[in-house]
Amino acid sequence: MYKYTIDELLHLKPSETMTPNFDAVEFRSIIEKVKQLLALREEEFHSAHPLGYRRRSSHHHGRPKVKHNKPKVTTDEDGWSTLETKKSEDEEGAIAVDGEKPFIATATSASSIAQETMKVKPNNKNISSSRPADTKDIVADKQIHGFNTFAALESDDDE
Amino acid sequence: MSVEEVSQKLEAVSVSNDDTPKTVLTDSNNFEVKHPLNSKWTLWYTKPAVDKSESWSDLLRPVTTFETVEEFWAIVQNIPEPHELPLKSDYHVFRGDIRPEWEDEANAKGGKWSFQLRGKGSDIDELWLRTLLAVIGETIDEEDSQINGVVLSIRKGGNKFALWTRSEDEQALRNIGAKFKQVLKLTEDGHLEFFPHSSANERHAQPTIVL
Repeated sequence: MYKYTIDELLHLKPSETMTPNFDAVEFRSIIEKVKQLLALREEEFHSAHPLGYRRRSSHHHGRPKVKHNKPKVTTDEDGWSTLETKKSEDEEGAIAVDGEKPFIATATSASSIAQETMKVKPNNKNISSSRPADTKDIVADKQIHGFNTFAALESDDDE
Repeated sequence: MSVEEVSQKLEAVSVSNDDTPKTVLTDSNNFEVKHPLNSKWTLWYTKPAVDKSESWSDLLRPVTTFETVEEFWAIVQNIPEPHELPLKSDYHVFRGDIRPEWEDEANAKGGKWSFQLRGKGSDIDELWLRTLLAVIGETIDEEDSQINGVVLSIRKGGNKFALWTRSEDEQALRNIGAKFKQVLKLTEDGHLEFFPHSSANERHAQPTIVL
């Protein structure tokens, strides 16, 4: 078995360039041609896509999903749940300066409430079928004035 | 011994020198003696695809064969060095008629030691040459020829060296891997990974041996 170490083979390297047993010129020219073609393609790509392949956020997946933090809801002892929205910077600034809550800030928080979809679980402890939770919430569903169809048919116009 | 006698002896020596066959070292153009290699080797080249219609078989082509040290150097001196190759090119040097494909009968039951050289280091030419010399000189193989070939892949993310073996004999592979690390001048941080060809179709194949 013929064995040569790396150093032995390096020692056998001729100082002059030898002629190989194949058409090396053609081989080199093929590689040069491929390099030129690839460079041309790269140039064309960059001129067509100056920013490269950049995915549009709404192209494949519809609107991007933006994660909202879950709104904080506190329930008091009477069973009323209150949504605590994040105060805007303007509102916080106004409170810090004036010490009072400005009207605009209230409107902003109301609009933010309207945009949120929230699930509120009522506190059943204070809600019973017989007693309303708050007397102000009693809704009179008794019909005050009924519509009588027969009376309407027997109107004076027909006679 | 007289001066004449010494001169005569020197003449005799010089005459005997003329009779010795010319080697590549004494005459690089007209040498007569060639240093045979243990096997015949084939150099293959994978051309990067420039057209979508080109298939793998169109891109992979044998370039030439060699079976002596002198033929090897003649080839190396005339082909582009690794840093001159375009991206997605591969050089393959395989024993005899073995094709550089894992489907080849000689490769089917083996695998490859793989190493990825991160970054654009200028030492790729030297490491590739050292790998070739270790493979064709058969010093990376201890006993019988476990090595079928060696591959260099020029890639954007990092150039890859792969040493293809004909079997999955773990002890033999560990010996080869340890020597391959020396050839690639790897330190403790550099890891060689062995992947059997049987897992070549798996998407996230894990190496069976890591050195």
